[in-house]
Amino acid sequence: MKIQNITRHLLFITFLLVTCHLSLVTEANAMHISEGILPLNWAALWFALSVPFVAYGIKRLKDISKIDLSYKPLVGLMTAVVFVISLMPIPVPTAGTCSHPGGTAIPAILLGPSITVLITGVALLIQALFFAHGGLSTWGADVVSMGVMGAFVGLGVFRLLRRFNISLAISAFFAGLLSDWAIYLTTSVELAAGIRGNEPFMPLFAKIAIAFIPTQLPLGIVEGVMTAGMITLLYKRRSDLLVKFGVIKAEEAIS
Amino acid sequence: MPICECFADNFRQQHILSRVDARVKTLVTFALLLMVISSKGMFFPIFIAVSSLSLCIAMRIPLRHMFIRFAQPMFIALVVLLLKLFFTGQEVLFTLNLYGIEITGHKDGLLEGMRITSRVIGGVSLVIALGFAAPFTEFVAALSWLKVSRQFTEIMMFAYRYLFVFLEEAVTIYQAQKNRLGYAGIKKGLHSFGVLTGALVLRCIDQSQKTSEAMELRGYTGDLPLLMHEPLRHGEVAFAVLIVAFGGVIWMI
Repeated sequence: MKIQNITRHLLFITFLLVTCHLSLVTEANAMHISEGILPLNWAALWFALSVPFVAYGIKRLKDISKIDLSYKPLVGLMTAVVFVISLMPIPVPTAGTCSHPGGTAIPAILLGPSITVLITGVALLIQALFFAHGGLSTWGADVVSMGVMGAFVGLGVFRLLRRFNISLAISAFFAGLLSDWAIYLTTSVELAAGIRGNEPFMPLFAKIAIAFIPTQLPLGIVEGVMTAGMITLLYKRRSDLLVKFGVIKAEEAIS
Repeated sequence: MPICECFADNFRQQHILSRVDARVKTLVTFALLLMVISSKGMFFPIFIAVSSLSLCIAMRIPLRHMFIRFAQPMFIALVVLLLKLFFTGQEVLFTLNLYGIEITGHKDGLLEGMRITSRVIGGVSLVIALGFAAPFTEFVAALSWLKVSRQFTEIMMFAYRYLFVFLEEAVTIYQAQKNRLGYAGIKKGLHSFGVLTGALVLRCIDQSQKTSEAMELRGYTGDLPLLMHEPLRHGEVAFAVLIVAFGGVIWMI
């Protein structure tokens, strides 16, 4: 009986601490898996999965840079932009916090998915080390969810919709939206697999997915609007750049 | 908090680890991090957390900076802890009745959640210490010594150089939009945010052209120079091996 009372008191104190912490935390970066959450075996598996994609991105960068000397600075500066975008606090009223967009659909549409994986890998490493967003041990998992899934889903959706002659803005909106939700679902899979222990996978995955719905569903819409806004502005101001990056055909450009 | 405040270059240039080679600091961090994420109990990660945070205090890092870095990982860790407590485990610890909904907390779930949380605290503390102890350029040079691809480290250098430029640009555009009621209402706010992103991308493309032209004029042929590596000092290496070995002994206990 005495032990039960002590446990109740301890739980009450923990609850107070949790409430205080959550009320102090005004920003949540739900897309990054934090340092230490994944055990060694899962961290190693996601790292091994991410390496071929990053290596291919590096090879692509090397090949293109041989022909175009300005390509490496462009990729470097795009990394800085993705970094800045992913630091922008977006208020999420449903969760009472701020969250950050991933920003991977934008480079995926402009520079392609393999370069985007490289961009994400670099941005994630800097964020892990200097901002404690994500982590060194979870770098592989974060690259797979944000870089690989975010970029390939984003570009895939964009190209698919463009094939059906859907407008640039709407295609970009759905590319951003679905890219964000793909990142969120992949992160949930990675988290559930990493922390489940001896429990079955599916119920825990469902609970994690539900736990992050308040931040990720509205954030996806913001990401979609952001991607659409970027493409629209580029089309209106510098449609020649969209032609150069292969996003639109020359005859579609505003002369 | 301004972004530049997050980098080690912003803090005291002279501290107890400033003379230690960044390669040694990076390798020790990697080794201890592997031990933290593979530890089965809570003692080792907490021990590493206490040691790393003590190091940060010794480096005179303001507590506010450490707290800010902990905020986000702890948010995720707390969600994981609550998920483990309420949704996993067999042994019932307590039952709550909230407006007719019965919620059961499990003892084994709580223990597992606390174990994960301790790993997060240990891992984050360790990486925070490395982040404060190693200036960015030295860390990049250490990565290149560790045979990380040159393309990767060069992109890191470009990104670091232009982070502050684009952040300032973003703040300027945002302030201008805000002053013209660009964020009055959800629809207007979303539109302004899209324009802000587009403007940043446009600026990035233009700036990359100007940068590469300027670099080519200065003899850029496709490779950025990185810091040269001096030979590792035997004393530092021996001390690092001792720390890792000591950590290994505690890890095994």
